Amino acid sequence: MDLSSFAGPFLPEILLFVGVLSVFLLDVLGVRRIEVTGAVAVIVTALALLFVVADLGFAPFAALATVPAGQVNSVGGSAPLYTFTTLGFVFQGIFLLAAFLVSLASMSRPSDERGAPIFFGLLLLATLGMTLVAIASDLIFLLLSIELTSVATYLLVAYTRKDVRALEASMKMYIIGALSTTLSFFGASLLFGAYGTTNLYEIRAVAGAVGSPVLVLLGYGFLMAGLAFKATLVPFHAWAVDVYDGAPTDVTAFLTGGSKKVGLFAFFLVFLGPVLFLAPGAGGSPFSGGTIDLGPIVQITLSILAVVTMTVGNVLALLQKEMKRMLAYSSISQAGYMLIGIAVGTSPALAGATLQMFAHVFMKTGAFLVVAAVAALGVGPLIDDWKGLGTRRPLLGVAFGLMLLSLAGVPLTVGFVSKFVLFSSAVQAQGYFVWLAVAGLLNSALSVFYYARVLKVMFFDPSASAPTPAGAVVGGSGPPALPVGGLGYGRATAIALIALAILVFGIYPQMVLGPIQSAAQHFVAVGA
Amino acid sequence: MDVPLLSVIVATLAVGTVGTFFAGARARWVALATSLVFLAEVGLLFLTYPGWPGYNGALVPGFAEGESYSWISLSWMHINYTVGVDGISLVLILLTAVLQIATVIYSWAETKRPAAYFGLVLLTCLGCFGVFIALDVLLFFLFWEAVLVPMFFLIGYWGGPNRRYAALKFFIYTHVASIVMLVGLLALVFYSGATSFDFSAMYTAAHGLTGVVPAFLFLALFFGFGVKFPIVPFHTWLPDAHVEAPTGGSVLLAGLLLKLGGYGLIRWAVELLPSGLHTMQPLLYVVAFLSIIWGSVLSLSQRDMKRLVAYSSINHMGIVLLAIALDSSLGLMAAVLLMFAHGIVSALLFMASGSVHHTFGTRDIPEIGGITPTTPTLSTLIMVGSLASLGLPALISFPAEFAALLATWNALAYWVFVPLIILVVTAGFYIWMMQRMLFGPPRGVPLEAHDVPWYEGASMGILAVLAVLFGVLPGLLVNVIMSSPIKGFPGT
Repeated sequence: MDLSSFAGPFLPEILLFVGVLSVFLLDVLGVRRIEVTGAVAVIVTALALLFVVADLGFAPFAALATVPAGQVNSVGGSAPLYTFTTLGFVFQGIFLLAAFLVSLASMSRPSDERGAPIFFGLLLLATLGMTLVAIASDLIFLLLSIELTSVATYLLVAYTRKDVRALEASMKMYIIGALSTTLSFFGASLLFGAYGTTNLYEIRAVAGAVGSPVLVLLGYGFLMAGLAFKATLVPFHAWAVDVYDGAPTDVTAFLTGGSKKVGLFAFFLVFLGPVLFLAPGAGGSPFSGGTIDLGPIVQITLSILAVVTMTVGNVLALLQKEMKRMLAYSSISQAGYMLIGIAVGTSPALAGATLQMFAHVFMKTGAFLVVAAVAALGVGPLIDDWKGLGTRRPLLGVAFGLMLLSLAGVPLTVGFVSKFVLFSSAVQAQGYFVWLAVAGLLNSALSVFYYARVLKVMFFDPSASAPTPAGAVVGGSGPPALPVGGLGYGRATAIALIALAILVFGIYPQMVLGPIQSAAQHFVAVGA
Repeated sequence: MDVPLLSVIVATLAVGTVGTFFAGARARWVALATSLVFLAEVGLLFLTYPGWPGYNGALVPGFAEGESYSWISLSWMHINYTVGVDGISLVLILLTAVLQIATVIYSWAETKRPAAYFGLVLLTCLGCFGVFIALDVLLFFLFWEAVLVPMFFLIGYWGGPNRRYAALKFFIYTHVASIVMLVGLLALVFYSGATSFDFSAMYTAAHGLTGVVPAFLFLALFFGFGVKFPIVPFHTWLPDAHVEAPTGGSVLLAGLLLKLGGYGLIRWAVELLPSGLHTMQPLLYVVAFLSIIWGSVLSLSQRDMKRLVAYSSINHMGIVLLAIALDSSLGLMAAVLLMFAHGIVSALLFMASGSVHHTFGTRDIPEIGGITPTTPTLSTLIMVGSLASLGLPALISFPAEFAALLATWNALAYWVFVPLIILVVTAGFYIWMMQRMLFGPPRGVPLEAHDVPWYEGASMGILAVLAVLFGVLPGLLVNVIMSSPIKGFPGT
């Protein structure tokens, strides 16, 4: 096997790796300016995104596809570590999109900031881990890739090394992350004990036939708990709000827009392929013939987790006074919506959950980027500090309003389409899943309260006194104001792109829905 | 006709709305131009529609001007951009065009961020137009919700002292109702096994539903549409929203937004689920009677003119609900005609109460009196509006209410006395209001008070003329409505 045929399919990953190395190398060589390191990150993520889009077969780029068509959606060899699936490409796209938008926006930070190379290097490293998660088809490969992402994000949260709150957040995330990793690996080792393999396809082939029920149940239980921490599901969510709140806001945008979905995608891989897509009732009742039919147990557990997660997230979001914490809880509730799709487990539901994650990249990354931009303008952390912002800065206000409306699921935004597809797929699956859709809709209605409240504060409440930009000394000369009304080109472009995407995909979703649907169908057919 | 007229109108309104938002100081001219083009296009729509006198084609069953393009196509659902009109939607589209132009003219002197104001007015009308033409569940819901957001901002930014509370209450009430409605419609699609979200596919599939399912679906839809009506006891958002909204917002709210509820109920609940209506008929009667009585009783006790008109809207929409619930072709025709009439008349009265507020600094009926010598134009218009609202013959409400009462008599016999007696009460509170405000010795009239400016007079004048025109010639509208392809109508 020559190098190019082996390396070709990994072009996006190789690009990211080269990006990581060059950013750290530039740091060593003393080139630390944000214009250089940031540009490397933006270009690398954009190129990798382009190749992934090409792999998905979008007409104008299809010629650039790096993975030969024959290798997509087919399990090569026995017990492969990785498999290229269409769904994997979709998720690589989602992860790279979040990384691209965050890098682009971060270009607007002060150009002499000390941590810039570390920030962009770690961002790329975390993204590399995420793209590996997307192609994993072996439990150990999957968990190691998650670990790569996690380690990079622990450091990312504390990259400034000065901010006490960020350090605390990083520590918290590290301790919880270590615990969750331990649980996941323990679960994986129990499953290895039960099935004699860690390959997800092989598990799928033998599950239902071999494996002692106790080992299988415990194994999946530990694995679920470990992954639930990553995906911020209630009751494993407590760390997330403090971390999202304490981390630098650009990092939060990346955590919630990108790395949190790693946990959810791992749910796809671990629970859908090997567990749900088995012929239903292969073993008769759950505990018959010495093995166990996990399908119904997993579905009910995931359904309960979904309902609890979205309800708790929404209710707590209602009570928040700080913008970042409100958005953090709303992010938790969104994980609950996505879990609906995994619990239902049909290919339409998978497509709905995937679309919801795609939409979430724009909505939540965008919202946190706006929060970062607004904080840079000198506005305080409380929701009430945003009074009159919409009338002072109409374009920024409209963009943020769009993101909130999309999160609330108001039509003409991508958030509506994704919720619509997701909930309608649950209704279509019938049975008790209809109640999942009802719970989701009630939660959507509930969430309108706190999103509308922010809109009201931004647009209707009279403005407080105009804030002084961060760093400006009263009576002295502060740092020079950034272009585009203090946002800077990078942030302004990222926010504008996101607002545009929310509308475009909200009005004409077919261009992403088509590929996502076929990806979900392939996934159901192939498994992991 | 080869030109996709409906899509052209949507495009006109969309371009006009965007243009208005960015037109700065010239926003009102852009808005006016858009409204005029809109009105002209609606005129064209009428001329090509079978029910219009002078149209020399045979009655065409099905929806006229239909267009359909694939929009979202998945393995398990097909959503299309499908639009079309029948007589019912056409009459309400005419109402939209008229009220849009009247609102733009009435608000001619708006100084608080005029570009955003006129843009939001146009956006509201675009949403309403979309609701009246959409024949696909998702498209319908999209336009339905598109009405909500601009209205939220109109109330919340341009409204009265308590506007923020009112805007939030309006948004939450109607949004929750919309979600229930969406669940109902989705359940209707999936339980009936319809192959697409199109009205025609659902129509065929939904009529195959049996048992309790249609009744439950109808109930969900009735709740969803009913809050917009509004039905007692979900009406409390309405007075708050009306009192706080700017006059233009009130006009659109009463004139168009309430009609969305009525239209939605007819199109998506009554037509699709006749057996559901049949099961739920007693409930609808109770709610309708409650709304009629309660709206009227509350009107009697109001001091604020705008509040009085707002509560009388609950009463009138109660009669609309009653007429729909009767499940007869006469009742349906009456309901649509009454919605048109109420749209014109309530818009006129809300404008008048706005003008009273501008001129006298208060809307409190007991505090002002004998205003006729000072403001003859305004008084005349208030008089026309009030007389139309209480159902004086030769004005627009009369034929509609007469048809509604006749249909009620046909179906319910002596129960007709409930709305009939309430109509007398309605007449009572309007006459009492006129007596206190318009006549007698001047009271609370500031020395510098003068008659309404030209734009307010002109916009109310247009509505007053229409109230008389269609009062004398209701047949123009009745023909259009009755040519709809609905069971029991002569066109089928």
